[in-house]
Amino acid sequence: MSAWIAVALSADVEAGTTLGTAVDGAEIVVWRDAAGRIHAWEDRCPHRGMRMSFGFVRGDRIACLYHGWQYDGDGRCRAIPAHPDLEVPATIRIPRYPVAEASGLIWVRPVPDGTADVQAPPDEPATPVRSIHVDVPAADVAAALAADGLASLATAAVQPIGPARTAIHAVLPGAAEPAARAALARRLEALRRRLEGAEIAEVPA
Amino acid sequence: MMPAATLVFSGRLRPASFAAFARHRADRLDLALDALDAGPSAATASVSGPAALIDAFEMACSLGPLDCLVLDVTREDRP
Repeated sequence: MSAWIAVALSADVEAGTTLGTAVDGAEIVVWRDAAGRIHAWEDRCPHRGMRMSFGFVRGDRIACLYHGWQYDGDGRCRAIPAHPDLEVPATIRIPRYPVAEASGLIWVRPVPDGTADVQAPPDEPATPVRSIHVDVPAADVAAALAADGLASLATAAVQPIGPARTAIHAVLPGAAEPAARAALARRLEALRRRLEGAEIAEVPA
Repeated sequence: MMPAATLVFSGRLRPASFAAFARHRADRLDLALDALDAGPSAATASVSGPAALIDAFEMACSLGPLDCLVLDVTREDRP
């Protein structure tokens, strides 16, 4: 059964905005409507395949950038600008992923039209730090994080984007000071440099 | 009485692939696929439903699946 995968910091997806991402190559649009509800769908308009993450949010709907097809929160197409009188059939819809917000992170179960019956991650107070992308496989990132000992002081959730691209989404527990956030961010940047085999020196603090 | 049309897509087709594609698009557009006959050089589809969605079906099948080449489309509308 697919586990929950963190795909973004909650703070990074404001109301009325979209984010394009992927889990194991499956492209996902994460978007937040005007009321603050988070959605995670297949990142493709059923009309011509345009990424919905390029689209725009208006109220509780998201519209495709290409021809403006509008979808409601259930993923169902509700309006086609070229045919304003058309009653759009319910068959024109976008597959949705189960999505949850907990501990400052947005979590997705990568099962299209799946149910949210798998227990969501625990929701604890947290301070967002950053997301960072690393061009190595997720297993290597997870191993490096374990070796670095970060798990004892922060949550660094690993997102497998593709075979050689991974994201780390980091939060600190409770209310963290800016200095602690900066320190964790630098530690993650150093970890990325080690993983990617970068030759450049660390930027002085 | 819903609009209806018979469309003939001619070109170089893989019949099974084109037929599956046409059925899938008809389902997605919630059109009634009244008849479908696909051969290596032409496929005939009769559909009924809202006019705008029949237009969308024609456009989708004109592009067709990756392994088919549609060179011409003829259409006969039935009121």
